[in-house]
Amino acid sequence: MIKKIYILIIIAFLTNSTFGQFVGKDNLSISLFYMQKSELDSAKKYIDLSIQDDALKSLSKTWYYRGFIYKELYKINDKENKTSALRLTAIESFTKLLSFEVDSNEFSESAIKMLNYLATTLYNDAARSLDPDNYKTAILIFEYYRNTMQMVNPTIDLKLQDAKFKLALASMLNRPAETEQGLDSIQTKQIAKLYKEVIDLDPNNPVANYNLAILYYNEAADIINNMDYDMDIEKLNEVQDHCVEIFLQALPYAKKSYELKYKLKETLIALSNIYYGLNDMEKSDFYKKELELLELEDLEKKKEDLEKEK
Amino acid sequence: MKKIALILVTLLTFSTGFKLTGDGVDTNSKMKAIFIMNFTKLVEWPQSYREGNFVVGVVGESPLYLELSKMAKTKKVANQTLEIKKFVSSDDISKCHILYVSQKSGEEISTIIKHIKTNSTLIVTEQQGLIDKGAGINFIIKDNRQKFELNKKNVEKYKLKVSSNLEALAFSVK
Repeated sequence: MIKKIYILIIIAFLTNSTFGQFVGKDNLSISLFYMQKSELDSAKKYIDLSIQDDALKSLSKTWYYRGFIYKELYKINDKENKTSALRLTAIESFTKLLSFEVDSNEFSESAIKMLNYLATTLYNDAARSLDPDNYKTAILIFEYYRNTMQMVNPTIDLKLQDAKFKLALASMLNRPAETEQGLDSIQTKQIAKLYKEVIDLDPNNPVANYNLAILYYNEAADIINNMDYDMDIEKLNEVQDHCVEIFLQALPYAKKSYELKYKLKETLIALSNIYYGLNDMEKSDFYKKELELLELEDLEKKKEDLEKEK
Repeated sequence: MKKIALILVTLLTFSTGFKLTGDGVDTNSKMKAIFIMNFTKLVEWPQSYREGNFVVGVVGESPLYLELSKMAKTKKVANQTLEIKKFVSSDDISKCHILYVSQKSGEEISTIIKHIKTNSTLIVTEQQGLIDKGAGINFIIKDNRQKFELNKKNVEKYKLKVSSNLEALAFSVK
């Protein structure tokens, strides 16, 4: 019995010595105390309690410090985690802060700076996740990036970033096209949709126009290549109709690429082949001849350069 | 943001693979080869032609020769081995079941017909008007699609029988 009393006294003593200094203080103050001591886990614990307190959660500084603590924890412990919940909580907290009267908010300027920083980390992680195994995560992170940027500046124009990201995503998804594996129709549709979205954002984007033309051309060429020689004429006519439709889809994008003089030689091959697929031999030959002339010019230029070197 | 720029540039410089017609598939020839395979089934040759190799001759330069050669590696006509022959000029023409006359051959159809003599040969051409000048089947382009015209008389005069199916599938029948 005496032993138990001693133990209780010791516990009471320890409790008082650790927390005695916080008597009468709110959770936000305790959190700030730990934050100043760089004890971020404890700071996090008390800042989370603060937002459950009706009085504290209406203060902009509560959300500012919550954002700051979570941002610091993310930087120190979780930076390699592309889907870090700490980062998202930091963004959520700063966002909440900005929902208060922004103009008069003494923390808003600093919060915006930190949101910009966090948005940049999101953009970087979205780009780093652009691989066949993680691209869905990349899409998700990029969406977080967009939302964050729009929170910082509701009138921001993200067209350029959207176009770049979609283009990079489409190019990554298109990789199997260069291998034996090729693309199935679902992949082709998914990639075509992305390129079209890029073109909607940036109609003169040469890469998207060129790649979309090639994507469609390859789709039709693959269908024809895989046709069985025993296919009956009725079925053959159906396949022809389908392929003509695809070649026609390729055409405007190849023409745009030509207009933009992007990868001119490859574009000329594309145009010649698309018209060949459309059985328009006159136009196919026209672009073929232009390519031959271009190659001849290149050859002449190389000869001249060699002569100069001599 | 510098890092992101680098990552995106790397991705963007990635070029999409382009399948050259010469390297991959000649879309026009593949279609024609399938049509020709169908002709072997929808035209009936005399009994004496149902033994030995089934010969398809190509007069003049044409990418179709390569496509037909590719087809011959895997396909047969009934139980006859498919053999593809290339004839540089009409003088080289020997007995064959189907004779494809390339537009680039530069040969007059009348000269070709002289060389066929009395053989049971289906003459296939790809030039406007030749269906009226002796060709049995002439490939034409309609609305960007490969189609064929049929001249029954020109087929039957070589003791060949045209199936009603082939007639039904032709763009026009004479």
